[in-house]
Amino acid sequence: MRFFPWGNRSVTPELTLEQGRRLDSLRALRPREDLDIREGRMVVVDVETTGLNMQKDRVLSIGAVTIEHGAIDLGQCFECTLRREALPGASTLIHGLGPEALADGDEPSDALLAFLDYLGESPLLAFHADFDQRMLTRAFKEDLGYSFQHPFLDIAELAPLLHPDALPPRAGLDDWIAYFGLGVGQRHHASADALVSAELVLMLFNHARRWGTQRYAELGDQCRHWRRSCSAPGF
Amino acid sequence: MSKADAIVEAGKTAVMQNIQGTLELLRKYPPFNQMEQGHLAFLVEHCKLRFYSKGDSIIKPADGPVRYFYIVKQGQVVGERPHSAKRGTETTFEIEAGECFPLAALLGERATRTEHLAGQDTFCFLLSKDAFVQLMARSTPFRDFALRGVSSLLDLVNQQAQRRAVETLGAGHSLDMPLRGLAMRKPVSCLPATPLRAAVKHMHEAQVGSIVIVDEQSRPKGIFTLRDLREIVADTSADLDQPIAALMTQAPFYLAPDASAFDAAIAMTERHIAHVCLVESERLIGVVSERDLFSLQRVDLVHLARTIRHAGRLETLIALRDDIRRLVDHMLAQGASSTQITHIITLLNDHTVCRVIELTIEAHGDPGIPFTWLCFGSEGRREQTLHTDQDNGILFDAQDAEEAQRIRTQLLPLAHHINEALARCGFSLCKGNIMACNPELCLSTTEWRKRFAGFIREATPENLLGSSIYFDLRAVWGPTEGCERLRADLLAWVADNALFQRLMAADSLRHRPPLGRFRDFVVARRGAEKDTLDLKTEGLTPFVDGARLLALANGISEVGTLPRLRALVGKGVVDALDGAAYEEAYQLIQQTRLQLHQTLARADQAFSNRIDPDTLNHLDRRILRESFRQAQRLQTSLTLRYQL
Repeated sequence: MRFFPWGNRSVTPELTLEQGRRLDSLRALRPREDLDIREGRMVVVDVETTGLNMQKDRVLSIGAVTIEHGAIDLGQCFECTLRREALPGASTLIHGLGPEALADGDEPSDALLAFLDYLGESPLLAFHADFDQRMLTRAFKEDLGYSFQHPFLDIAELAPLLHPDALPPRAGLDDWIAYFGLGVGQRHHASADALVSAELVLMLFNHARRWGTQRYAELGDQCRHWRRSCSAPGF
Repeated sequence: MSKADAIVEAGKTAVMQNIQGTLELLRKYPPFNQMEQGHLAFLVEHCKLRFYSKGDSIIKPADGPVRYFYIVKQGQVVGERPHSAKRGTETTFEIEAGECFPLAALLGERATRTEHLAGQDTFCFLLSKDAFVQLMARSTPFRDFALRGVSSLLDLVNQQAQRRAVETLGAGHSLDMPLRGLAMRKPVSCLPATPLRAAVKHMHEAQVGSIVIVDEQSRPKGIFTLRDLREIVADTSADLDQPIAALMTQAPFYLAPDASAFDAAIAMTERHIAHVCLVESERLIGVVSERDLFSLQRVDLVHLARTIRHAGRLETLIALRDDIRRLVDHMLAQGASSTQITHIITLLNDHTVCRVIELTIEAHGDPGIPFTWLCFGSEGRREQTLHTDQDNGILFDAQDAEEAQRIRTQLLPLAHHINEALARCGFSLCKGNIMACNPELCLSTTEWRKRFAGFIREATPENLLGSSIYFDLRAVWGPTEGCERLRADLLAWVADNALFQRLMAADSLRHRPPLGRFRDFVVARRGAEKDTLDLKTEGLTPFVDGARLLALANGISEVGTLPRLRALVGKGVVDALDGAAYEEAYQLIQQTRLQLHQTLARADQAFSNRIDPDTLNHLDRRILRESFRQAQRLQTSLTLRYQL
């Protein structure tokens, strides 16, 4: 099937017929932002990349965990490694994905379709969401020709918003893990990072409900407000 | 492709990491560490992870039938019930990481009776009831755990103890083993008419130390041992052709083949015999010898008891204390239960006390007055450990106060020598002077009655303390009738005096099990005892006091804590399940205490009953906590019964 290109190769990446059909059905997804955090399905994601340059570096693996009905569903975890040209560099030391693991990975287009399928219409959360969002958006564009529009909430903003005096500004995931006393399996593995981030989200949502905030979109607004007030002069 | 299929598809490689991490986490705890990988993965894949902030309600009675099986991943869950007597609530349990709830409600398809709250910020895994039922069907360890709860973990502890024993001894051998398994060979037997010469030839050929004389139906009639032969040969006029029936010991002691090796050891020690017949449906099916029982032990209980009983000098008895210590060490290593061990210690101590009394009388002259040597407290209850104080007294008969005074004057010097000699044998002198050489404890039957009646009439704090010691009395040496009469009076008086019972109940609540609201154990906060708890006063005493009170109030003449509990169950005073739980809990705390003593002795540290719960492994710690919880339940039942 691989030899039947989908669309114009120079503009759109090469997809099989089957991949094209799947993508078409997924294009119909309308990501939802208007849901209740106590009930709705949300996905906490973490991506590992070749580096931190959002223009050049590439997604190597995706780990995701589903929160639904206010709980992490361990039966609905997502994890995949993308087949990439071996680019052993400094970040191998962080993500731990060696050339062999990467060569064993899934075809990027298949992996991304599977992830999109898994995601459905659910909105996302990630720690330093801007990075994950941009890396995924570029990957979707380059590997699938798909315009990734799903909304993100940044856990790195949500945490200080709900616990303003807990930690100094710009605290990292490790700082929050330590602050809340969370146990973590293997840091810098996309899945394990997604799981511990999701645990952090459950704690934050519990706190948010005490504040009377119950909607995903509302939390998004508050984060934006918080961000503006932080960057306001003299603050 | 449906969404679910897609997830399954994507999940083939993907689920692994987080499932794996959770598997590893759960595998730190029983029963998960015993489950097959596939079953555990099934469990994890069907779990949801939920967070509860400190104080959040997790399940409560109003929620209706329980829908999930909960495993604490991190944090602590506490159970709260409205307080029975006082206002407010009481914490009934604490559940920590790796532990599960609410099994009874889930299996009973009902609501929980206790509200479960997060005691700290807590994460729980939730397994749906459907998945729970499926898992029960698939995994045996999980099913055992679900149905039997913590009891199945107790088996695990026993298995561990036995495994340790096997490691020490190189073979499985336990005092709980049924005798059937020990008597491997066909018993050597003969008919009553067999001539002595032929019987001995038979023994010699079979290389055994005893022969059982049976009738035509294989019913044992007598036993003849090498020891008996020695006596006959020593008598030069003996006729070697006379029938064995004339020389045998009649009506030999026997046990059923299902009796334990421990039963046989106790019988041999008490009766000074070296062979026990095994009889099933009246027929002889085997013989167990001392050697069969102790072939694997370096120190032989029966031999030790005999040596004590025949010791010619006090110095021999003093030297034998080391053998007793070694024996206990060995039994503990073999996984003997704490009850077996304390029973054996008491038995050997009784032999020592008797021999000390006899040797002292030989050395200082017989006063010519019959008297009974009484013991009190743990010795009275047959619950002694190696570290034991003297708690003893003397009872004698006298016509009147004058005669009593005269006899006392005669007995006190002897009592003094006995107490001194016992101290040299390792029974330390009682700091509270509860010793026979104390004139107040060397009393006639009438005086003892008066003293006990006074305890009950006037329940001052000192008298209540006194009753908790003296009411556990037992005769060790001398005639026992006086002691039994005294006990019968005591039971009648206590049963008659509701006020005394109530005061005794209130007094027994002074020793609270060390369980707290936010930490699982309450330990001393400062000083040399920081972070430790007292296994004896905080763990065992609630059971001992509770059992004593209920036994005395219900006319039960047993003295030991466990026999008292069993008799209370028999009489319907204590529910059978509760009784079994108390018994189990009591034994476990005692076991932990004995192990602590052993550890301290090995490290050459001072004897103590205080333990730092943090030094225990997870399983032992959890089981100790459950045991304390039972002590708490027993106390709660007393507060209800006596409306405290």
